[in-house]
Amino acid sequence: MGSLLGDWPSFDPHNFSQLRPSDPSNPSKMTPVTYHPTHDRTLPPPNQVISSEAKNILLRHFYQRAEEKLRPKRSASENLAPEHGCKHPRASASDTMPT
Amino acid sequence: MSIWNYVVTAHKPTNVTHSCVGNFTGPQELNLIIAKCTRIEIHLLTPQGLQPMLDVPIYGRIATLELFRPHGEAQDFLFIATERYKFCVLQWDAEAAEVITRAMGDVSDRIGRPTDNGQIGIIDPECRLIGLHLYDGLFKVIPFDNKGQLKEAFNIRLEELQVLDIKFLYSCPKPTIVVLYQDNKDARHVKTYEVALKDKDFVEGPWSQNNLDNGAALLIPVPPPLCGVLIIGEGTIVYCSASAFKAIPINPSITRAYGRVDADGSRYLLGDHAGLLHLLVITHEKEKVTGLKIELLGETSIASTISYLDNAFVYVGSSYGDSQLIKLNLQPDAKGSYVEVLERYVNLGPIVDFCVVDLERQGQGQVVTCSGAYKDGSLRIVRNGIGINEQASVELQGIKGMWSLRSATDDPFDTFLVVSFISETRILAMNLEDELEETEIEGFCSQVQTLFCHDAVYNQLVQVTSSSVRLVSSTTRELRNEWHAPSGYSVNVATANATQVLLATGGGHLVYLEIGDGYFRFHDLNLITKEHLGGEIIPRSVLLCAFEGISYLLCALGDGHLLNFLLNMNSGELTDRKKVSLGTQPITLRTFSSKNTTHVFAASDRPTVIYSSNKKLLYSNVNLKEVSHMCPFNSAAFPDSLAIAKEGELTIGTIDDIQKLHIRSIPLGEHARRICHQEQSRTFAISSMKYCQSNAEETEMHFIRLLDDQTFEFISTYPLDQYENGCSILSCSFSDDTNVYYCVGTAYVMPEENEPTKGRILVFIVEDGKLQLIAEKETKGAVYSLNAFNGKLLAAINQKIQLYKWMLRDDGTRELQSECGHHGHILALYVQTRGDFIVVGDLMKSFSLLIYKHEEGAIEERARDYNANWMSAVEILDDDIYLGAENNFNLFTVRKNSEGATDEERGRLEVVGEYHLGEFINRFRHGSLVMRLPDSDVGQIPTVIFGTVNGVIGVIASLPRDQYIFLEKLQANLRKVIKGVGGLSHEQWRSFYNEKKTVDAKNFLDGDLIESFLDLGRSRMEEISKAMSVPVEELMKRVEELTRLH
Repeated sequence: MGSLLGDWPSFDPHNFSQLRPSDPSNPSKMTPVTYHPTHDRTLPPPNQVISSEAKNILLRHFYQRAEEKLRPKRSASENLAPEHGCKHPRASASDTMPT
Repeated sequence: MSIWNYVVTAHKPTNVTHSCVGNFTGPQELNLIIAKCTRIEIHLLTPQGLQPMLDVPIYGRIATLELFRPHGEAQDFLFIATERYKFCVLQWDAEAAEVITRAMGDVSDRIGRPTDNGQIGIIDPECRLIGLHLYDGLFKVIPFDNKGQLKEAFNIRLEELQVLDIKFLYSCPKPTIVVLYQDNKDARHVKTYEVALKDKDFVEGPWSQNNLDNGAALLIPVPPPLCGVLIIGEGTIVYCSASAFKAIPINPSITRAYGRVDADGSRYLLGDHAGLLHLLVITHEKEKVTGLKIELLGETSIASTISYLDNAFVYVGSSYGDSQLIKLNLQPDAKGSYVEVLERYVNLGPIVDFCVVDLERQGQGQVVTCSGAYKDGSLRIVRNGIGINEQASVELQGIKGMWSLRSATDDPFDTFLVVSFISETRILAMNLEDELEETEIEGFCSQVQTLFCHDAVYNQLVQVTSSSVRLVSSTTRELRNEWHAPSGYSVNVATANATQVLLATGGGHLVYLEIGDGYFRFHDLNLITKEHLGGEIIPRSVLLCAFEGISYLLCALGDGHLLNFLLNMNSGELTDRKKVSLGTQPITLRTFSSKNTTHVFAASDRPTVIYSSNKKLLYSNVNLKEVSHMCPFNSAAFPDSLAIAKEGELTIGTIDDIQKLHIRSIPLGEHARRICHQEQSRTFAISSMKYCQSNAEETEMHFIRLLDDQTFEFISTYPLDQYENGCSILSCSFSDDTNVYYCVGTAYVMPEENEPTKGRILVFIVEDGKLQLIAEKETKGAVYSLNAFNGKLLAAINQKIQLYKWMLRDDGTRELQSECGHHGHILALYVQTRGDFIVVGDLMKSFSLLIYKHEEGAIEERARDYNANWMSAVEILDDDIYLGAENNFNLFTVRKNSEGATDEERGRLEVVGEYHLGEFINRFRHGSLVMRLPDSDVGQIPTVIFGTVNGVIGVIASLPRDQYIFLEKLQANLRKVIKGVGGLSHEQWRSFYNEKKTVDAKNFLDGDLIESFLDLGRSRMEEISKAMSVPVEELMKRVEELTRLH
């Protein structure tokens, strides 16, 4: 057991070296200052206001698939595209989360 | 009308939900950061221990908290995501000592089902992306670019719908997550995915592991060199990586929290549901995992979070008990524990129930809470203001002043207490029996009133009367010198210290004397500063004093107002004038010290202690009705005491710690769930639950316990049946019966039933300190609520409201007899009554208003709120306005529409107020935490107290309309000046929010924001004052008054 327990990591050996153990039955009363920012840097730089991609995940999936499928089959008849288009939703809908 | 409400926190949240350690405030500074639901606290690790730095309110409920180090940064950034789908990245600017926002945003999706198991927010150890799991079936990615800037977030479809945990794996060439999930056959597995940022998709990861422990719920990623992940189950712990699989069995337990000890990830602290702390060790050779070991270290509070700090010190944050600072010892103590608890940090959460009582019968409300859960359950007695613990008292009428004196300059204790009356002065001293006894100081003039007394240098005492100043030897007690007021003039006021006397005579003369060894010396005075007070009220007491190194001049007026100024000790300049109202009568100011700190006692009809905390003056009520004079009296028999003159009585007593709220803890070792006080028997009754662990079999037992209301000891216990839970408790009496009873409502919670179908109402009387069962009545469901109603008993039983009469049987015994009832609720959980009206808070169907018709002996529905609110507490504010709290952390009020033109209109409760509190309220109670004086302004304001899961005690005050409008304007102006940390908006935060709608808050004000006006710097105050066209002094006074509500 000793071998497992010893050798606790130390970042700064001074930390807690002068801790006066208070009576544990008497809880510690530490009240930090409450922070009320009045400066302007609570707002991030304009390019760091992050939003989510507007495109729906399902639509993105369709477009991606469509591109992938279309690319090698550029020469194929245009009639095939809608047919594939019909297949995808069914295949996708079953394993896409219900919305 | 109680439409206009002011919501303010009296006790901030103390439930610790998250914690982390890192270099936040500086590259060399190690910080502990704690999240308490809507606040974060930043602490610094120092040789003296944890030093609190900042308490940061967050306009949101914190869902995740992570420290991370972006590439090229010298210190850590803090990532916070809130339950309402906002996130922010914060950085500490050490130069300005400010928290600044590096990035923020909204990560909500318009559609999507929120996860059942809480939100997950994780950061890739290589800082390539932030991952969020907020909705079932979706994993949201916020990518970092190579400069550490965040980019637009996107979703990736996650096949696993029942996710228990997700973590990033260390040292993967592509960011890789490991997902712990449950399939539709309830089996649990882990799976890994690589995040392909460019394709915005997952790629099947390097490994997976099927059919884990059925209770596996926690993943711990292991850093390099070992890498991989630990999967913590209820019966096994597994280490898993692409190349290794090791498992060990553990005693059945639910691991609630973990903390990594070593940077190389070889040791972890695990905290379980019973508060046991284990050390989990990964044994390894040449960077290859060879096995796992687990050791029990000892017991702590039930941990919700564990952070290894430094040098064997560990922070244990708790939701169910007090949080702790512990030390891991190398050798076990006598009980075999390696854990030593060094500090405890109060946590009132979860407050499941509470009552407001006046135990000391001083007109001062105290809140007694059922706090904590499981083995950490306790009662907490929360009291506002500073108490005086009386040690001795004598009847003495007409005290006009009091001073304590020492018998020698170097004597550490006071010997004499000089008490002055209108035409005499009496000297009291401690005799050998430690009793106060009248004595004499021969050199003093005792036939007249004393204006001032003080110890002086060279073992002398000074007495000032209207005609002279006397200098007396404290050893021989004989007169050494006397200065006489010029004839025709008498001394009106005087003050002195060890070497100086200053007095004022009629005709506007000031006389200044210096004290020598048996003589006085005269000096001239020069005017340095003159400050016009304005108004017609005469100042009655002035005092110079220093708090926390800052000098102040305090000036008390005859009408109970107090002015304070900052005093420049070099130039004498007075600045930052502030005015507060302490009472209505003249104030006398005196300093005293407690625990080596100087405070000021303001004696008046509303005695107050003035002290300083974080360089701000605070005013705390003293729990005494009226004090005319006070002086410190530090005698050997009564060290550190105060002598207090009040209502014809002289009292010697010690003073509580100087702080606003006092919390006393009564650990129960079991979970108290309902509490009720009975004035007549001076007892509390609680309903509690005790968990018993025996041979891996966990059983629970339920009790009704009777406690003495002074000692809080169990004096009687009534065990409930197996499976029987106490649901409600009430102290009441019935018509035609003078006895006072405790009524208890119960439910039989059978494992196979969805809803209880059986319960009981038990009626007890307290006789000889024992609970005696007088009557019992079986019910067809859980008795969720009991109310005294027209001398009868009103019970809420599952879907039904039921009224019982208290009937006398032929044999002289009593029984409950059903009179009438009302069906039509999903579950009637909370009931309040007023006259013949009954307000019901339903599980799902918001409020309904019922009326009891005496003639017909029937209960009918009058009106209801047709919104689908899931209620958590209800209260009646006045005849027409009802207050409710619901499970999306909102508050709202509804109004009875008795003037409606049609039945349809009258049958509809109109929603008049809405507000997002961000706290789950379990109980409202009418009452006040502070002594209510009828002649004070705030004494007229009705208040309701609430208690929440996070341990918040709050106050809702119903304001007059004018005051509400004024404060609403102030709040609007404060919003412009006090910014939300992380760029979060106050307006959005306080908007009423549930799955169906989000609407702006109305008819509720945020008292916490309004009262933070007092924390602003002068220039910001002036900015607001200008915008409102109200002087700063007036604003401060009005806000200061509001702080007196709690």
